[in-house]
Amino acid sequence: MKPNLKPETNYDAINPILAAEEELIPSSGFLAATMERVRDEAAIPKPIPFPWLRALPGIVLAVAVLGWCGFELARVGLANAREISFTQLHLTAAAGRVLEPAGWVAVALAASMLSWLFARRLAGRSGLL
Amino acid sequence: MHAAISAEEDLADVNRVLAGEVQAFEGIVRRWQGPLVNMAWRYCRDRGRAEEMAQEAFLRAWRGLAGWRRESSFSTWLFALAANVFRSELQRFPAVNVPLEEVAEPAGPATQHEGLARKQSDETVRRAVLALPTRYREPVVLYYFHEMDVAAAARTMGLPEGTVKARLARGRELLRKRFPQLNEQSTPPLSSTLQPTKEVLQ
Repeated sequence: MKPNLKPETNYDAINPILAAEEELIPSSGFLAATMERVRDEAAIPKPIPFPWLRALPGIVLAVAVLGWCGFELARVGLANAREISFTQLHLTAAAGRVLEPAGWVAVALAASMLSWLFARRLAGRSGLL
Repeated sequence: MHAAISAEEDLADVNRVLAGEVQAFEGIVRRWQGPLVNMAWRYCRDRGRAEEMAQEAFLRAWRGLAGWRRESSFSTWLFALAANVFRSELQRFPAVNVPLEEVAEPAGPATQHEGLARKQSDETVRRAVLALPTRYREPVVLYYFHEMDVAAAARTMGLPEGTVKARLARGRELLRKRFPQLNEQSTPPLSSTLQPTKEVLQ
C-alpha cells in the first residue's frame, strides 16, 4: 500500500501530544563544562601529518627496486622454466636455488606491508590520522 | 525556538574560532545549548545523558568547524552533525526504555488530578516513540523537534523529503496501532486510562 505522504492530516490526536514537549533548560554548569572540554581539546597539539613529500624519494626508490627485483625474478624464472622438460614434475635444483630465497623475500615484504596497513588502520580508528 | 537565532552571529563566531580564538566558541554553545540539549532529550529522554550527548555534539562541532562548507546554514550543519552523534551514541549504548507493558498506568480521574493523569498518559505516548524501530523513530523525533517541519527534519537527517514523509507516516501509524484510543479521540483531553496494546512494534 502506498504510504500516506500527507503528515499534516489524520494525526490530530498524536500531533498535540508529541509537539507539546516541555522545553528543557540546560543545567547552569553545562556551558562552562562544555567550554572546558573545548579548551582541553584546543590545548592538545595537532597530530603531525605524515611527511609525504620527504618520503616520496624513498617510496619511489623502493618501488623501483621492487620492480627491478620482480623483473629479474621473472626473467631468471622464465629462463629456467625453458630448461625444465614438460615431463618433469618438480622444479630443477637450479630453479629451486633461485626461487627459494626470492620466495622468502616476497613473504617478508608481504608481512611488512600487512603490518603497515594494520598500523594505519589502528591509528585511523583511534583518530591519530 | 531556534529560528530567531542570528545567523550573522554564528558566522562571526565561526570565523573567529577558525582564526584561532577558542573563546569565540562560547557564543555558539551559549546560543545552541538549549536546542541541542532538547534535541538530545527527545532521542533518549534522560536529562543527564541528553546533556552528555549535547556536549559531545559541541565537541565534534568544534573539531569539524572547518568542514562547514557554508552552502547550508550553520544551524542545518549543526543539527545534522548532532543527529549523527546522537544516533551513534544510542547505537553504542541504547536508551534504557522500559517496555510499555511495565509502565505504571495512572490511576483513574477519581483518585488523581485529571491534569496530572493526562500529563502521564501523554508522556507514555512520547516514550513509546523510543520503542519505534530506528528508521521510523528518528523522523518522528526530528519532525516534532523541528516544529512539524518535514523539510527541516529531512535536512537534519540528510534524506529526501519523500522518504522522511513516508517513514513519518509509518511511525505514526505504528503509534496509533499501539494506542488505539488515539484513533477514537481526535481532540484532547485524552483518556487518563490510556492503555497501550500488547502488540509488539515491528
